[in-house]
Amino acid sequence: MGFYAVQSLNALSFSMLLLLTGLGLSVVLNLMNFVNLTHGSFFLLGAYVGVYWLASGAPWWLAFPVAFVAAGLAGFLLERFPFRQFYARTHLMQVLLTYGLSVIFADLMRWGFGAQILSAEIPEALRGVVFIMDMPFPIYRLFIIGFGAALAFALWFVIDRTIWGAVVRACVTDRGFVETLGLDTRRIFTAVLVISAGLGGISGALGAGILSAYPGLDEEVLILALIVVVAGGLGTFRGTVLSALLLGFAMTFSKVWVPEFSNVVALAVMAALLVALPEGLVARKVRQV
Amino acid sequence: MTERFPLSRRSFLATAGATAVTGAIGAPALAQTANKPLKIGMVTSLSGPFTALGESMRAGMQMFLAENGGKLAGRAVELIVEDDQAKPDEGVRKFRKLLGQDNVDIVSGVISSAVALAVRDVVTEAKALTFISAGSANDLARKAASPFVFRPTKTNWMLGHTAGQWAFEKLGKSGCLTIAADYAAGRESVSDFVASYQQQGGKVGKQLWAPLGTTDFGPLLTTIAAERPEFIFSFFAGSDAVRFLRQMREYRLHGKVKLIGSGALFDQEDVVSAVKEAALGGLNTCNQSPTAPSSAAFTKAYQAARNAMPGEMGTAGYVTGQVIKAAVERVQGDLSNKEKVKEALLAKEVETVFGPMPFDPRNNQAILDIYVNEIKEGAGGPVNQVIHTYKAVRDPGPVA
Amino acid sequence: MSSIADGTGRVEARPASERRSLPMTAKVALLALAAAIPLLFAGDYQLRFLAEILIIGTAVLSLDLLVGFGGLVSLGHAVFFGGAAYAAAIAAQTLGADVVVMLAVGIATGMASALLMGVVVMRTIALFFLILSLIVGQIVWEVVFHWREVTGGADGLRGFPVLTLHTGFATIPLNNGVALYLAALVLALAAYLAARSFVTAPIGRALLGTRERQLRMSALGYSIPRIRLMALLASGAIAGAAGALYPFVNQYVGPNAVHWTMSAMMIIMLVIGGVGSLYGAFIGSAIYLGIQTYVSSYTDRWQLVVGLVFVLTVMIMPKGVVAGLKAAFGRRKDAEGRS
Repeated sequence: MGFYAVQSLNALSFSMLLLLTGLGLSVVLNLMNFVNLTHGSFFLLGAYVGVYWLASGAPWWLAFPVAFVAAGLAGFLLERFPFRQFYARTHLMQVLLTYGLSVIFADLMRWGFGAQILSAEIPEALRGVVFIMDMPFPIYRLFIIGFGAALAFALWFVIDRTIWGAVVRACVTDRGFVETLGLDTRRIFTAVLVISAGLGGISGALGAGILSAYPGLDEEVLILALIVVVAGGLGTFRGTVLSALLLGFAMTFSKVWVPEFSNVVALAVMAALLVALPEGLVARKVRQV
Repeated sequence: MTERFPLSRRSFLATAGATAVTGAIGAPALAQTANKPLKIGMVTSLSGPFTALGESMRAGMQMFLAENGGKLAGRAVELIVEDDQAKPDEGVRKFRKLLGQDNVDIVSGVISSAVALAVRDVVTEAKALTFISAGSANDLARKAASPFVFRPTKTNWMLGHTAGQWAFEKLGKSGCLTIAADYAAGRESVSDFVASYQQQGGKVGKQLWAPLGTTDFGPLLTTIAAERPEFIFSFFAGSDAVRFLRQMREYRLHGKVKLIGSGALFDQEDVVSAVKEAALGGLNTCNQSPTAPSSAAFTKAYQAARNAMPGEMGTAGYVTGQVIKAAVERVQGDLSNKEKVKEALLAKEVETVFGPMPFDPRNNQAILDIYVNEIKEGAGGPVNQVIHTYKAVRDPGPVA
Repeated sequence: MSSIADGTGRVEARPASERRSLPMTAKVALLALAAAIPLLFAGDYQLRFLAEILIIGTAVLSLDLLVGFGGLVSLGHAVFFGGAAYAAAIAAQTLGADVVVMLAVGIATGMASALLMGVVVMRTIALFFLILSLIVGQIVWEVVFHWREVTGGADGLRGFPVLTLHTGFATIPLNNGVALYLAALVLALAAYLAARSFVTAPIGRALLGTRERQLRMSALGYSIPRIRLMALLASGAIAGAAGALYPFVNQYVGPNAVHWTMSAMMIIMLVIGGVGSLYGAFIGSAIYLGIQTYVSSYTDRWQLVVGLVFVLTVMIMPKGVVAGLKAAFGRRKDAEGRS
C-alpha cells in the first residue's frame, strides 16, 4: 500500500516536471502558433543557473526567480531576432530554425559551463524525507509537486480568467482586430515568449535538483516536453496537463513493473494515444479551408 | 568571367587530389627516418554523452606529451585528436581518416566499447598499431582480440569479477541486489559480478535494469527501499551515475545500504566531484585510483593542471602515452617492423600510473592491478581511497 | 555563348545556369566526367567517404519525397534506412553478401517498415505526424538496442561477409574504395531517376496536391491515405536500397543508424541542400559530413559551425544552398547584362 502510494507520488512529481516544461512550450504554441524547439535550451540554462545559484550560498529560494529572469532574458533577445521574422512562416520552417538554434545554444552552453555534469545542492530545508506508511519520499519532490501545481494554476488563471489572457487569446484569433483596438500585439507576443522562456528556466532550476545539469539534458527534456504538448492536443491547457500526467505515470509505473522495457512501454502508450486520437487528447476545433 | 566558377572548382579538385596523392604515396616512404615526426592519432568523444570523459582523456595524453617535451625516442610527436561523438559509425569514419588521410603511425583512444568493437576490423585490416585507451568490452580481449591492437586498459570482467570476490568476503553472503544500466557494458559487468559472487556461494536477489539515460530513478529506488537488500552492486556511468547516487541520497538509501560498483560509478573526476557527499562510503573496483602509490606524482600534476583529481579517463590518456612511449623507445623510434614493436612491448612490463602493466601475449590485453576503492572524506572533498589491491588480474582471454 | 556544346572539351567549363539547355547526352557525359574525377585523384579513404556521402545522400533523397512533396516531416525516417541496414547485415551472415540480394533485402525491409509506419501514422498530420513518427522510430531503436541476440544490442553488428557482385564470369568483391564508390554512384543515380519519375508521375502530382490542399483533394475523390502510403512506400524502397549498402562501407552497423538523431541529421542535410530539389540531398549530405569530418579536426566547436550553417541556410536561403547561390549568381549576371 505504502509502496504504491509512494510510487504514485514519484509519478506525480515527474509529471509535474514534464508539465512545467511542457507548459512553457505549449504557451507559445497555443497562443502564438509558434513551435519553439529552443525550449530545451531555456531549461538547461535554468538548470545551470540553479546549480550555480544554489552553490553560491545566496538565499536558495531566489534561485527560481533568477532562473526565470535569465531564461526570460534569453527569450526576450531571441524574440527580437530571429523569432519575430518566423511567426508567419510554416511550422516546418519554425521547427528548422529553432532546432538549428538549439544546436548552437547547446554548444555555446557547453563552451561556457563545461562538459562536466553539475548537480544542484538541494537546499537544507528541502533535503529530508517523509515516511508514508514506512516508505521514504523526498521532501524536495513534494516541493516540486506543490510549486509546480501552484505555478500551473496561476498560469491557467491568468490565461483563462483575466483580461490579459483574453487579450493574448484574441491576438491569436485575429491579430489585426486587436491592433485596431489600439493594443500593440508585438509587445504582447514578446511578453508571451518571455514568460514561456522563463517557465523553461524555472523548470530547469527545479529539475536540476533531480536531473543535474550537463550537455545533452536540453535535448532529452525537449523530446519529452514535445511529446507531452503534442499528445495533449495543440491549443489546450487541459490537454497538456492530462498528457503530462499520462506520460509521467506511464514512465514511472513501467519502471515499477517492467523496468527493462520501461521506455518501450511508455513510448507505446503515447503512440497508441496518438493513433487513437490523431489530434491529441483534447483537440482544438479548427475550421478547414 | 563566366568561366571562373568551374575553373576554380577544377583547380580546387586538382589541388585536393594532389595533396591526397602526396599523402598516400609520400608518407610511408619517409616515415621511417628518425627526424620525421611521429604522428599519433587519438579518437575520443568530444561531443555526445562522453564529452567530459573525452576531454579528460585528451588532456591526459597532452599532459604526458608536454612532460616529454613533445618528443618520444628523439622523434617530435604530432598528436591529431578526432571526435567520435561516442558513435561507432563516426568512430570508424575518423579511424579511416587518420589512417587513410593523415597517415598516422599509431592510433589510440576510444572511450565507448561499441566504438572499439566497430573499429576493430578497420585497424586489423590496416595492420595499424592501435592502443585502445578505455573501451572495456570483454570481447575485445577475447573473440575480437587482434594482433596489433593493444589494450592498456581493463575489461569489464576484471572489475565485475573482483567486485564479486570483495562483496562475498566483506559485504555479505546473501541479500545482494543488482541494478545497472541496460546496455552491453552494464549487462557484462553484472553477469561477471554475479558469476564470481555465486561461484563462491553468494546468493543474488532481485536484479533491476534501468534504461540508459534514465532521468528519474525514483520508481526504482522505491522498489529498492521495499526490497531492503543488504548491499547493492551497480553499474552506471556519467550522468546516469550522478543521478543515481544523488537520488539514492534523496531517498535516504545512501548510508543505509552498502553500495559497490564498477569503477565508472564512482569515477573521481566525472562522478565523485559532481555528487560530492552522496558518494561517501561507496565502494568500487577499478584499475585506476587517484590515491594508488603509482599515481602519486601524476595525481599532483593533474590537479595542478586541471584543478581536479584525475579520474579513469584522464589517467587513461596519460597511461596510453606511457605505453606508446615504452613501445616507441624499445624499438628506438623505428616502427617499420610491427612484429618487432609488438615483441618489444610484450617482452616486459611497462611502469604506468595504473601500476605495473605487463601485456598478455595471447591477446595484447594488459594484466592489471585492480584497486578496491572506498570513497572517504579527503582534503579537497570525497576521494577514492585504495583499501585493497588485487594484484595482476588477468582476463580469462580468448579461451573464455 | 550558348552554342559551345560542340564536344571540344569546353563543355564542362560552362556555367551552371546554362546547363539546363544542354542536350541529355551532354548532361550524362558531363556527369560521368565529374563522377570519374575522384577515381583519378582520391585515395581509398576519400572514396569510401564519398561512397558514404552518396549512400546517406540517397537516404536523404528518399526523405525529400516525403518532406518536399508530401509535406510530411518525419523524425522516424532513420527506421527505413537503418532497418534495411540491419536486415542486410543480418541476411548477409546466412545468405552471403551478394549485392543484388542485399539490395532486394534492403528494399523489401524499407518498404515493410514504411508500410508499418504508414499504417500507424496514417491519420496524423503536421506536428502530430512529426511526433508520432519520432515515437515509432524510438520504439524501433529501443528494440534494436536491446535485442542483443539478433542486432548485437548497443555494440551493433560487425564481421559480416564482404559485399560481392556476381557477374556471368566472375565474382567481384566490393571491398575497396573504388568499388564501393562506384556501387554507391550507381545506387545514387538510380535512386535519383526513380525519385524523379515518381514526382513527375500522376501520383507525385497528387502527393503535391495533398500537401497544398488536403480538403480539396479529398473532395476531388482522391484517397489521401492511399497517396501518402504510396509516397511512404516509394520513400521506404529508396531508403532501404541505400540502407542495404551502408553496412558494407564500414563493415559495421549500429543502433545509431535507427536513432531519431539520424533522422534529424537527414532533415538538416535536406534543408541545407534544398527541400524539394531531389539533387540537393546529395549536396546537403556532402556539406554536413564534410563539416563534421573536417571541421571537427580543427575545433571542438564544430557543432556550432553546423548549427550556424543550418540556421543561416534556413534564414537566408530557405530553398537550400544551391538554389540560394544560383539566385545570388543569377542576380549578379542580370546586373552585368544590364550594365
